[in-house]
Amino acid sequence: MKRLLCIVTLLVMCVGCEPRFAADPPKTPKKEKPTVNVPLGDRQRNWLGNQGEGSCVHASIISLFRWQGRYHTADYWRNTYGDGEWPDDLAQRFDKEGIRYAYVTNGNVKFLEWACKTRRGAGITVMGGNHMVALVHLDAKWAGILDNNSVEKIIWVPRETLIAEWKASYGWAVTPVYTPTAPLPQ
Amino acid sequence: MNKLILSVLCVLALIAAVLPRFADTVNGVLAEERVVNLPNDTAKWYISVVGNANDARYNEIVGWFSTNTSLKRLKDQVHFCPVTTNTNTYKERYAGNVKAPPTVRMQKPDGTVMYEASGKNIPMSAAGLNGALANSVTAERFLPWRRDVDRQLKDRQPDPRPDPGPAPDPDPQPIDDGGTPDMDNGGDADFLWLPAVCVAALLAGIACGYGKQLVQKIKTPVKAK
Repeated sequence: MKRLLCIVTLLVMCVGCEPRFAADPPKTPKKEKPTVNVPLGDRQRNWLGNQGEGSCVHASIISLFRWQGRYHTADYWRNTYGDGEWPDDLAQRFDKEGIRYAYVTNGNVKFLEWACKTRRGAGITVMGGNHMVALVHLDAKWAGILDNNSVEKIIWVPRETLIAEWKASYGWAVTPVYTPTAPLPQ
Repeated sequence: MNKLILSVLCVLALIAAVLPRFADTVNGVLAEERVVNLPNDTAKWYISVVGNANDARYNEIVGWFSTNTSLKRLKDQVHFCPVTTNTNTYKERYAGNVKAPPTVRMQKPDGTVMYEASGKNIPMSAAGLNGALANSVTAERFLPWRRDVDRQLKDRQPDPRPDPGPAPDPDPQPIDDGGTPDMDNGGDADFLWLPAVCVAALLAGIACGYGKQLVQKIKTPVKAK
């Protein structure tokens, strides 16, 4: 009986060690918003190319290159390409430069979900296909957009509004496929 | 004749159905509008190596992930992020939360820090670093409650020291789905059986003790009063 009492006492002593840490409930990690939180200094502004056209597609891609750790590729792209761009032409350039990428031109929302879920983001067409912005967040309710004409703030749009706008703009989405920046420490 | 034409048409229809599946795959990622084999790597962990591009120690540590077999294998299983102090990524996302460069940090996909070491606390050898990282993975797999204890014991002081320096983009990592890294644990995991054995021994002891008492009770003749 004494032995049993000793064992129980020992067990109670062991259990007694726990509350010191158990009193502080485990933290639930905060989700970073937007998911693709490109540092302000890495957000590429739109610029006029040699033909006098805006370079929104290239600007969006350059921001994503930087987010995915491809700083030198981003600089090279900024110095090499510009002006307006079509899906096929951009794909050809990516192939030529050996860039790893993925794109759709059929308005497949799963692609956008994949791009944001894997924290890579994507360039998406808006305004009837006349402009490209970077999609940096997509959840059940909201979409976050980084517009290269105004990079200071993320623009928040209801998810369905954004998707409708995108689909009415030829549904082109494109992204490099490299390593996304690590999340903020929790 | 009709059968022959029908056969040819069937074969053509089959080819038409199968061909698009193999068309225009680029790096296994893209087939025109058909997106195939996109990495579903949401569950991949992150390893950041943070430091000054001109610092020999930083370059040595980054180099370990290419030269040491175990670390190289680990690098292929995680999102590997070398971060130099001259980048905006460092200034906006690391400067405020690393003790001092160089720093090695391992995170879960939700950002939870599983391992972090800075300066002289970084193991001196590649094997040592692999062992330390392996312990973190092992702890997550087998001792999940330790996570919060470790977090409470951490004390981080920011000490940003940005210093510009050129460094080429690293080779891209392999595309795969990933998840919790499977590591060489340097033998430390061999002791994981110890708590289980202790508990088993304790239970066996209790059982034996109780059994003896039970036997004694059965054998003890009833006292006649």
